[in-house]
Amino acid sequence: MGAHPVGSTPIGGRLMDFLGDLAEWFVENWDGSGGYLQRTWEHLQVSGAALIAAAVIAVPLGAWFGHTGRGGFAVVSLVNIGRALPSFGIVALSLPLTIWLAKTVPFISSGLGFLPTFAALFALALPPIFTNTYAGVQGVDPEIVEAARGMGITESRVLREVEIPLASPVILTGLRLSAVAVVATAPLGALVAYGGLGRFIIDGFAVQDDVQIVAGALLVALLSVLTEVAFTWSERWVVPSPLRRTSGSKDPVLRPVV
Amino acid sequence: MRRFFRTRTVGATVLAFALIASACGDDDASGDVPADGPTITVGSTNFSEQLIVGEIYGQAMEAAGYPVERSFNLGSREVVNPALKSGEIDLLVEYTGTLLTFEGGTATTDSQETWDSLAAVYSDTDLTVANYTPAQDKNGIVVTAAFAADNGVAKTSDLAAMNGTLVFGGPPECPQREFCLIGLTDADVYGLDFAEFKPLDVGGPLTVAALEGGEIDVALLFSSDGVIAAKGFVLLEDDLNLQPADNLVPVLRREIVDAYGQALVDLLDSVSAELTTAELSELNKRFNLDAEDADVLAKGWLADHGF
Repeated sequence: MGAHPVGSTPIGGRLMDFLGDLAEWFVENWDGSGGYLQRTWEHLQVSGAALIAAAVIAVPLGAWFGHTGRGGFAVVSLVNIGRALPSFGIVALSLPLTIWLAKTVPFISSGLGFLPTFAALFALALPPIFTNTYAGVQGVDPEIVEAARGMGITESRVLREVEIPLASPVILTGLRLSAVAVVATAPLGALVAYGGLGRFIIDGFAVQDDVQIVAGALLVALLSVLTEVAFTWSERWVVPSPLRRTSGSKDPVLRPVV
Repeated sequence: MRRFFRTRTVGATVLAFALIASACGDDDASGDVPADGPTITVGSTNFSEQLIVGEIYGQAMEAAGYPVERSFNLGSREVVNPALKSGEIDLLVEYTGTLLTFEGGTATTDSQETWDSLAAVYSDTDLTVANYTPAQDKNGIVVTAAFAADNGVAKTSDLAAMNGTLVFGGPPECPQREFCLIGLTDADVYGLDFAEFKPLDVGGPLTVAALEGGEIDVALLFSSDGVIAAKGFVLLEDDLNLQPADNLVPVLRREIVDAYGQALVDLLDSVSAELTTAELSELNKRFNLDAEDADVLAKGWLADHGF
């Protein structure tokens, strides 16, 4: 129990004590194998891997369905079922499979930790990226697409050089939504022996260390916000300048589906 | 009367009066049927055995006419202990040695001695302990049968020969616990050195799956867990006596005893006297492996023992 200022109310004093403990926690727990720098790196590793894997699959598929316009609605509906599955359920369901994989496949060292966490985050990241890519490509002004075709360029160039650049703000929004959701959900991995920032929340809860729980939650929240900011910022390089939300254009061709 | 207890806005004076009145009422009452008194909320932590024993004591009290509520699966000791102290729950089945250590006392391998120390710790508090049961549930260090055979391991101290190579899995709170990672790695006790500790669940399906699947070499399970026999795991002998006596014991709020008198404590003690480690293992196995419900198991056990 730390001393608190004379004359402060008991509740105010306890709050000050708690904030003091919290500050001390951040000073004392940053380095080493269980420190929050390493935990943040682990958090980013599984989140990044899940997001990249989801993007590699969902962006080309979404673009293709959006370009052809055929069967898209059915696939969007199918992919959206993924949103109804709770991430915790996917972690639990994938565990027997990942443990079995680790036993059978030589180069997979562990079925705990990374793999089940990755599976849940991948399933979480897929629907927003797919849906936004599909909607973005499909929503490109048909007259622009027709004009491109009229110039005689191939279908694949129409997609790559006209539709995807025009849809890029919407696609990027999908990636941003997925990224933030993934970073905020990755703490679940701590339930199956993964590291990451969830470790502080789960371990803190097991021994009722409120300081550690709050510190972990703050770090997860901070990382989520930073992810959001980073993606918003990256529009600068990815989205063609006339389409940027900050360009001041009064009549943007497309608005992101948020 | 019960409403007074359940309404938090009632003034302290009225509440105190109600308590006195209910206590007086019980003194005057004759016979086994309890007077209309406070509801007894039975709590439990978050592992299967706790649900079963919670049901056993809960149903025994219900059968005797006491008003019982259940508040199960609350979490680890750090969650349920404050809940008991604050009166959110009134009765909790605890473990003498672990609870005594949690309260800052020193548990020994002797059951009676450990219970006496625990009773002394709670003597001037809102809590009181009933008699302990013959059943014990200690932390058990467990390996697979294949691992035990391949490495010639039968005692916990045998693991020291493989220092630096083994992966140990247990509950997330294990690294903070005397009777878990602290004692196992302490040079004055076992002096083990694990390559890695994997934080899993509290003697639950995740730990079992991890041990069975070869994710971990050594697991912390509960010694009364039926899964140990069912899966052919080997419970290593605690040859250096790290684990203290850990008999199951009902801990309850003193105000409940004050309200219902000795008859309630006698009832709890009569149930406790019948519960053995072997029966507990069997109940745990039927719950975890045969997927029988805790309330059904408790009902059957009580019927078998004439309650």
